Amino acid sequence: MPRDASDLLHGTLDVLVLKTLSWGAMHGYAIAEWIEHRGGGHLVIVDAALYKALHRLEESGAITSEWGLSDNKRRAKYYSLTTRGRARLRSESETWKRYALAVGRIIESS
Amino acid sequence: MQVPSGVRRAFRLPASSGQITRDLEDEVAFHVAMRVQSLERAGRSHDDAIAQAQRKFGDVQDLHDYCVALEVPHMQRAQARERLSSIAQDLRFALRQMRRSPAFALIASLTLALGVGATTAIFSVVNGVVLKPLPFSDPQQLVQLWGIDANGRHLHFADPTFDHLLAENHTLSAAAEYNTGDMSFSTNGTATRVTAAGVSKEFFRVLNVRPELGRSFAPEDQQKGSPMVILISHGLWMRLFGGSESVIGTIIKSGETPITIIGVLPAGKEFPAGTDAWYPREPFGEATSYTAHNWNVIARVKDGVTTEAATRDVSMVLRRLHAAVGDATWTLDGTAIPLRDQIIGSVKVLLLLILGASAVLLLIACANVANLLIARMAVRESEIAVRVAIGAGRGRIAQQLLIETSLLAAVGCLGGMVIAAAGMKMLLVLRPALIPRVGELSLDWRVLVFAVVISAATAVALALVAAWRGTAGDLRAALSQSQRTQGGGGASYRVRGSLVVVQLAMTVVLLIGAGLLARSFVGLMSIDPGFRTHGMVVAGTVFDEPRDTNYIGRRSVYYQQLAERALAIPGVTSVGISDAPPFSNGSSNGEFLVLDNAGIKLAPSALEGMFNDKARTGYATYRTATGGYFKAMGIPVLSGRVFDATDRAGGPEVAVINAALAHKRWPNGDAMGKVIEFGNIDGDLTPMTIVGIVGDTREQDLAADPLPAAYVDFDQRPGNSNEMFVIMAASNEAGAIAAARRAFPQVRADVPMRFLTVEDIIGRSVDSQRFMLLLVGIFGAVALLLATLGVYSVISYLVAQRGREISIRVALGASAPQIVHLVLKQGVALSLVGAIIGGVAALAATRVLKRLLYQVSPTDPIAFATVLVVLCGVALVASYVPARRAAAFEPMDVLRGG
Repeated sequence: MPRDASDLLHGTLDVLVLKTLSWGAMHGYAIAEWIEHRGGGHLVIVDAALYKALHRLEESGAITSEWGLSDNKRRAKYYSLTTRGRARLRSESETWKRYALAVGRIIESS
Repeated sequence: MQVPSGVRRAFRLPASSGQITRDLEDEVAFHVAMRVQSLERAGRSHDDAIAQAQRKFGDVQDLHDYCVALEVPHMQRAQARERLSSIAQDLRFALRQMRRSPAFALIASLTLALGVGATTAIFSVVNGVVLKPLPFSDPQQLVQLWGIDANGRHLHFADPTFDHLLAENHTLSAAAEYNTGDMSFSTNGTATRVTAAGVSKEFFRVLNVRPELGRSFAPEDQQKGSPMVILISHGLWMRLFGGSESVIGTIIKSGETPITIIGVLPAGKEFPAGTDAWYPREPFGEATSYTAHNWNVIARVKDGVTTEAATRDVSMVLRRLHAAVGDATWTLDGTAIPLRDQIIGSVKVLLLLILGASAVLLLIACANVANLLIARMAVRESEIAVRVAIGAGRGRIAQQLLIETSLLAAVGCLGGMVIAAAGMKMLLVLRPALIPRVGELSLDWRVLVFAVVISAATAVALALVAAWRGTAGDLRAALSQSQRTQGGGGASYRVRGSLVVVQLAMTVVLLIGAGLLARSFVGLMSIDPGFRTHGMVVAGTVFDEPRDTNYIGRRSVYYQQLAERALAIPGVTSVGISDAPPFSNGSSNGEFLVLDNAGIKLAPSALEGMFNDKARTGYATYRTATGGYFKAMGIPVLSGRVFDATDRAGGPEVAVINAALAHKRWPNGDAMGKVIEFGNIDGDLTPMTIVGIVGDTREQDLAADPLPAAYVDFDQRPGNSNEMFVIMAASNEAGAIAAARRAFPQVRADVPMRFLTVEDIIGRSVDSQRFMLLLVGIFGAVALLLATLGVYSVISYLVAQRGREISIRVALGASAPQIVHLVLKQGVALSLVGAIIGGVAALAATRVLKRLLYQVSPTDPIAFATVLVVLCGVALVASYVPARRAAAFEPMDVLRGG
């Protein structure tokens, strides 16, 4: 598996997943589509890494899952945000905004 | 699932970790299927789409491992939670069951408590006495040494023999002589009687005990003529001095002798057990005699030396000595016995026997509870069938039963510990002299572990029985028949019947053991000891005076005054004095010489030679007595006379012998007028003339034949014991004791005294028999009670189970006696089988009692017959109650399903 993409998105991916799920419950494929679409094609996610993030987040209690039927009547696993996940999204979004700002400033000044 | 099969196949994961794998596989398959669909919509070929989706997805195996690693601990926690909650659920259910049938819970727990309690109490004694090491450092190195004579008897050591041993042995790191006796101990004018040990200088080094206060003996303390010093026990320090540190240097008096207290020994380190004080030993004045076998010897073997090696070494020294000195040493051989074996000795066998008996009782209790449980399982068969039907596995059912029985066992275990603690208190109250180290008994962790382990084992055994009964057989049949009472009934009756038979058989063994002991005890107590036992009071007095030339005179005056006081007590008819009445442990024994002439006092050197001439020697116990002693004790004068007022110090010296000695030494009946000399015992060397023959008395042991005995005159000879006994024949024992307690100290307040009745003294000599009888008797009674309950419950069950059949019989005209007979037959059958099996088992088992029995065979027909009759009678009564109930059945009620 291409480690660079995974490493690049590690941590970042968790926030993106949480943010995506803040719009409502989704299955894994929809999450991947959503992130790639919203990222304007700049963020390419390795699918396996996305599922690792999903299971990791579920284990930590930030999201929860449930088997349901997809739009085309297929059995699919739907993930949704928990209260704990919402709180984590808030705090990590703040961190990320400050981080991105700081990195942007440094890069522009040089 | 509508995921295309190709996609599924492409992403099939290795089949491991069950649910996680299956879920993940579904999830991945869905994802890829969606991606493939999307790619196909964008114009890719199917195969191309699959290949690209696969690439885009990445490493499936890695994802799988990641998820498994994430979830396994989570799953394990969930499983553990589930198991715990199922246990909690079962526990709640079990508690509910107990609340619903409190009688069952109570009886079952009480029964278990009895079994566990009895076994634990006895185990705690075994633990304290047999298993716990002695309270000295490296206790396995401690040995007691003995000489052995030509008859194989164990002999104490004589001083010169001990000196040889010290000088010539190669295996001992230290050895010491000691001897215990009573001593008067006065502080501030109040005299107490204490047990004191005279010890040689290495004594505390052998034990490796240091005083907790003050110092041990110094070499100068051992020298003749140095001021007397003494070490006291922790107990005596507390009792007499309140634990005050100023006790060191205190001067106490023993008789007229001032003695300085130099140290206090730590608690629990007393040796020999029960000793209150230790002083540097003083030789008896015959330090050169090889036949003055007066000293116990303890020793510590060198590191790595075995007891056997020490025995060989000691034997070698003693044999060499015997070869050099000749028969005069008596000591042919020697032996070293581990001190622990020496102390616990035969008690070990006794205790293990009692432990065995209590284990049998525990088994009977378990059989009873198993019986009750099976009875309940019959009732609960439908409940269990339902649980099985809704999917509970055998394991789950077994878990529930185990929890139920564990709950019973836990309650039983707690109750058992209470009973054990109470039982221990009882044992301590009985305080039989036969149990050494009784002061060290406690419910320590080993005992608690023991109780918990046997309770747990009981719970598991019971659960197994219940689970086997509960889940055996056709459960569906049980379910469908649950409204009737015969679900699995026949088999259940057989199992319960067998349990009752086992119970009855074990009860028979215990009862026959108790019966044999009881017969033996009654026989022992009805032995005529050769002296009066009723209305006899004994005052033990410790007359601690310096044994100078005026000793006998001072003593005569004092005891003459005591005798006068005693005779003035209302109801006291005669008074006598002796240093060694029967059962007092006061007597000495040894060889005497038969001389030609009363007038000549021979030189010690001449006597030594004569001891080698067997025609001139005899052997007897040696006692000091007044003439009044024989009358007070009720010992008959068979010929001649006993001591009287004409026998005075300085006058012709006389002796009285018993019939056993007369027959043994002078079988032709010519004992009267013979002249004898006990030079090696009394050191007096003055010949005595035999002036009378008296009846035999049994000494120390009722079961043993009377020993040859010689009595010497109290006013002519010192005794060998510090303690003198004033014996009073009194119509009212308690009154005489109370009066003597007031009157005797008026003569002299500094002579400590103890008062006993002769019955008490004899009673103590049969402590071990009484103790064993008491315990086995209690166990037997409890076993009988449990067995009765067992028979009753099984027969009741039988009656309930055969209710329809009995009703039909009644309806067909069977009379009440016929019904009673029908039911009783079952009870009789059970008890007969139990009695026969038990009888056979007892024949094998009671042989181990042989050593404890007196004139009763271990197969005594009277004991066997009595027990069997009692048992069958009790079983009959236990079956009669349900039989009566059966006879009172109203057929229509039963047939209507009432």
